[in-house]
Amino acid sequence: MIVGGGISGLFTAYFLANRVDPEKILLVERSYIGSGSTLRCATGIRASFTTEEHIVLMKRSIEYWLELSRELGFYLRRGGYVWLLQEEHLDAFKEYSQLHNRFGVPTRIVDREFVAELVPSINQDMFAAALHDPLAMQADPFEVIHTLTRFLKSTGVKIQEFTEVTKLVLDHERKNVEAVVTNKGEIPAENIVVAAGTGTKNLLKSVGVDAPLEPLPKHILITMRYRRLFDPLLIDWASNSYIVQSRYGGFIVGAELAENTSGEAINRIDYMPHAVRIWSKFFKWFPKVYILRYWTGYYVMTPDHHPVYGPVEGVDGVYIAAGFSGHGFMLGPVTGYVTSRWVIDGDPGIAQAKNLMLARFTMGRLIREKAVIG
Amino acid sequence: MPRDRRIWKHPIIDFKRGRKVRFFFEGKVVEAYEGETVAAALYAIGIDVLTWSPKLRRPRGPFCMIGKCSSCLMKINGVPNVRTCIEPVSEGLVVERQREIPPIPETSENRQVHVEELDVDLVIVGGGPAGLIAAMEACKRGLDVVLIDESPRIGGQLVKQTHKFFGSHEWFSGHRGFEIAELLSKKLASFKNLRILTRTTAYGIFKDNVVGAACFGSTPGNYTIRFRTCIISTGASENYLVFPGNDLPGVIGAGGAQTLMNVFGVRPGERALVVGAGNVGLIVSYQLLQAGVKVLAVVELMDEIGGWFVHAAKIRRYGIPILTRHTVKEAWGCERVEGATVVAVDEKYEPISGSERDYEVDALLLAVGLTPDNRLLAQAGAKMVWLPSAGGFVPLRTVFQETTLRNIFVAGDSSGIEEATTAMVEGAIAAITAVESVRGISKEDEKYRKRLLKFLWGEYRASPVVRRAAEAKKKALIDPEKLEEVVRG
Ligand SMILES: Cc1cc2nc3c(=O)[nH]c(=O)nc-3n(C[C@H](O)[C@H](O)[C@H](O)COP(=O)(O)OP(=O)(O)OC[C@H]3O[C@@H](n4cnc5c(N)ncnc54)[C@H](O)[C@@H]3O)c2cc1C
Ligand SMILES: Cc1cc2nc3c(=O)[nH]c(=O)nc-3n(C[C@H](O)[C@H](O)[C@H](O)COP(=O)(O)OP(=O)(O)OC[C@H]3O[C@@H](n4cnc5c(N)ncnc54)[C@H](O)[C@@H]3O)c2cc1C
Ligand code: FES
Repeated sequence: MIVGGGISGLFTAYFLANRVDPEKILLVERSYIGSGSTLRCATGIRASFTTEEHIVLMKRSIEYWLELSRELGFYLRRGGYVWLLQEEHLDAFKEYSQLHNRFGVPTRIVDREFVAELVPSINQDMFAAALHDPLAMQADPFEVIHTLTRFLKSTGVKIQEFTEVTKLVLDHERKNVEAVVTNKGEIPAENIVVAAGTGTKNLLKSVGVDAPLEPLPKHILITMRYRRLFDPLLIDWASNSYIVQSRYGGFIVGAELAENTSGEAINRIDYMPHAVRIWSKFFKWFPKVYILRYWTGYYVMTPDHHPVYGPVEGVDGVYIAAGFSGHGFMLGPVTGYVTSRWVIDGDPGIAQAKNLMLARFTMGRLIREKAVIG
Repeated sequence: MPRDRRIWKHPIIDFKRGRKVRFFFEGKVVEAYEGETVAAALYAIGIDVLTWSPKLRRPRGPFCMIGKCSSCLMKINGVPNVRTCIEPVSEGLVVERQREIPPIPETSENRQVHVEELDVDLVIVGGGPAGLIAAMEACKRGLDVVLIDESPRIGGQLVKQTHKFFGSHEWFSGHRGFEIAELLSKKLASFKNLRILTRTTAYGIFKDNVVGAACFGSTPGNYTIRFRTCIISTGASENYLVFPGNDLPGVIGAGGAQTLMNVFGVRPGERALVVGAGNVGLIVSYQLLQAGVKVLAVVELMDEIGGWFVHAAKIRRYGIPILTRHTVKEAWGCERVEGATVVAVDEKYEPISGSERDYEVDALLLAVGLTPDNRLLAQAGAKMVWLPSAGGFVPLRTVFQETTLRNIFVAGDSSGIEEATTAMVEGAIAAITAVESVRGISKEDEKYRKRLLKFLWGEYRASPVVRRAAEAKKKALIDPEKLEEVVRG
C-alpha cells in the first residue's frame, strides 16, 4: 500500500509495478491525485546541488526523466538553470561547480555576455556572473501526474482517491504493520510506503515514530501567457527567488518570504509586489505583465534539507518517502526507484540513498544541502 | 460591410445613448456611443469575431457579456487579454484582435498605477441586488463601506431585466429590474460613508482580512482594502452546453444576449433559437421579440417546462413552439452560427436518430443554468459543499449568511442560484450581521433581522417554484454553534 498520491507515491507505484503483480498495489490519496505539493510546484528539475547524495540521486533522476518522458509520452524541456550571482557568491559557487563536475554534472561559471545570449532582455548590471547548469529541465506536473495515473490504472494498480489514512495499525507484538485505518474503513496491508507529504509526520506518530518533518509555507505566482522570451529557469541567489517561463508561456515566479515552519500557508497581499519588485530589476518589461494566479503550498523540510528514504527501525513493513525540502518533484523518479528497491530487495539500489534513512537524525549523521531556493 | 445591429425603437426601453466617440479597430476608425463597452460597440457594427483561440485558432465572439468567460479578450492600447465586454469605449482607444499568444506589451512607458490603501468596516464585493441592498442597510447604520464592482456600472443582472418583479411591495414588486437598479443607485449616492469603485475587480482575499482589488484599462489602479467585515455577492456565471460548434460566435449566453439588447440596445442576431425553457429562457425569448429578433423555437431537454406558466403562455401566444424533450445536436457556420440541428431525446435523454431537424439561425442562445461565482470564498478557504440543486459548489453558511471564514459573509447568487428578491433579502441579512460583528446588534435590528428571516424562509418562498431553491439552500446551512466549532477547527 502506498499512502499519498503525489509524485513520490505515483512513481513508487510505477517502479513497484515493473517488478511485482500490479494488482497487489493499492495507492490511497486523501483528496485528489496531485493535490498536495505536487501540482503546486514550479516544474524545475536540476542536479546542481551541493552534496554528493543530492547530486548523484538527481543525476540518476534526470536519466529516468528522459527515459520516462519517451516511454510514457509527456513533455520535458531541457532549458537549463542559470544561477545569477553577486561578486561575494563566486568563491562558493566555483567550489560547487567543481563538485558538480566531479559527479558528471557539467556546470560552469559563465560571464554576463553568456547569460545575455540565453536571456536577451536581462539587465546585466544586476549580477556579476552566473553558474550555468545545462542539464536542468522543466516538466509539466499536471501532465506528468495524469499520464502516470492513467498508465498505472491500465496496468492494474488500484488508485483510490478521497481516502484518508488516519493511522497505521501494528500486530499484537507491535512489531509488524498489518493494516491502516481510513475514513472508509480498515484496509489490511503487508508493506506500507508513507509518501504522504505534510501528512507523513502524523501517520508515523501513530506507530510511535518521531520524524523531523516540518511543513514550510511557500508562495508562487504565474502570469498570463506571453510569447517565449527565454528557456532557462533563472535564480537570483541574493534574494532567493526564481523565474521560469512555463510550457504555455506564463512566467512562474517564486520568491522567499519569511515564514515559520508549521505556519499555515495563506495568500499574503505582500507577496505579489515582493516578487514583482525583484524581477523588475532584472527585466524592464516585467511591470507590464499581468499576474494570472497566485497560490501557496508547502515544502516539507528536514533538518538537513535531504529527503527521508527507506525502512523505519523497529516497525517492520513501513517505508518512508518524504521530507523533500522543496525538491520532491525532480526527485520523483529516483524516489520511486529507491523506494521500490527498499520494499522488494531491502536495499536502495543506489549507495548514497542509504545515507538518507530516518536513523541519521538520531545518530547525528546529517548531510547539509545549501542550495535550497524559493 | 459593417451593418447596424443597434435597436432604434423598442416598446419599453428608451436607450439613452451617450455622445459619439471614435476609436481605432485594427487601424480603421469606428464609431460608438459613450456608455457602450468595446465588445458591445463592435458587435453592434457587425463584428462577430472578437478573437481567435490561441492554440486551435478557432473564432470567438462574446458569450457572457459580464466579464466571466474570457471569450472576448482583445488587445487594448497595446495591452493584451483585456475583457472587452466590460471595458468602456473612449475616444482614441486602439483595439486589436489577438490571433496567438501575445508578446510582452510594448507600451512606451510604464503607466502610472494609482495605488491606494483603504481601511473600512465593511467591504462588499459585487454590486448586484444583493450587494446594493447590503450597502444600503450597512450605510444607514453608519458603517464605513466600500462597494466594488468590476463592471462599468452597478446593478449586476438587474440592469438587463426589463420585466416587472413579482413578490413583495417592500422588495420593489411592480418595478422593472433596471428601474430597481437606478432607484438603488440614486439612494446610495446620498451616503457619505460609502465609496463605490466600479470597473474594479476584487482579485483575492488575503491573510489578516485584506481584499486586493484592481482597476484595469485606461485608468489602472490597485487597492489594498483592510476590512473588519466583508460580504461576497459576486453573483453567478452562465453555463455552457457541450455540442460541436458550441464555441462559434453567435452562440451566446441568454444573459449575455440580454445585456446586448437590453443594456446596450444591440440585437444579438436576426433569427434565434433558444436552448432551455426555464424562466431565463422564456423571458429572454420574449425580450428577443421585443428587440425585433425572430425566435424560431425554444428547445428544452426535460419533459416539462421549468419556468413559470405565465411566461410560457406568453411565448406560445406569439406562436413560438416550445420543444420539450429536445436538445441541440450541433451548430455550424463559418466564423458565425449559420444554423443548428435539433434532435428529440428518449426517456434516458439519449438522442433519437432520425429525429434531427435543421434550423437556419444566426444566434443560438443558451439558457441552461448558472453556476455560483464564489471563487473568492473558495480561494480564501471557506468550507464549500457540492449542491447541484443550488448550481454547484456553494459555501456552508448560517441563516445569518456567515461563512466558515470569520467576518466574511455571502449573499445572493454566489451563495446558490436563486433570484433577485432573495438576493436582496440575503444582502440585508448579511449587512445586519456585519453591523453586529463591527459593533454589536441593537434590539430593533435584531427584530428586523428576525422578520427578514421569517419572510425569506416562510411566506416568500412558499410557492412551489421558489420552494425548490429554498430546499436546496437548506442543505448548505450550518448551525451557528456548529459554525463556531468549524471556524475554530
Ligand atoms: C511553491 C512550490 C514550488 C516548488 N517547486 C519545485 C520545483 O521546481 N522542483 C521540485 O523538484 N520540487 C518543487 N517543489 C517541491 C515539490 O512540490 C514537492 O517536494 C513534491 O511535490 C513532493 O511530492 P510528494 O509526492 O512527496 O508529496 P505531495 O505532492 O504533497 O503528495 C502527498 C500526498 O499525500 C496525501 N496525503 C497526506 N496525508 C494523507 C493521509 N493521511 N492519507 C492519505 N493521503 C494523504 C496528500 O493529500 C498529498 O496528495 C515545490 C513546492 C512548492 C510548494
Ligand atoms: C440571464 C439572467 C436572467 C435572470 N432573470 C431574472 C428574472 O427575470 N427575475 C429575477 O428575479 N431574477 C432573474 N435572474 C436572477 C437574478 O438576476 C439574480 O438572482 C440576481 O441578480 C443575483 O443578484 P446578485 O447580487 O447575487 O448577483 P449579480 O446581480 O450577478 O451581481 C454580481 C455583481 O458582482 C460583480 N462581480 C463579480 N465578481 C466580482 C469581482 N471579483 N470583483 C468585483 N465585482 C465582481 C459583477 O460585476 C456583478 O455586478 C436572472 C439571472 C440571469 C443571469
Ligand atoms: S468575459 Fe467578455 S464575453 Fe464573457
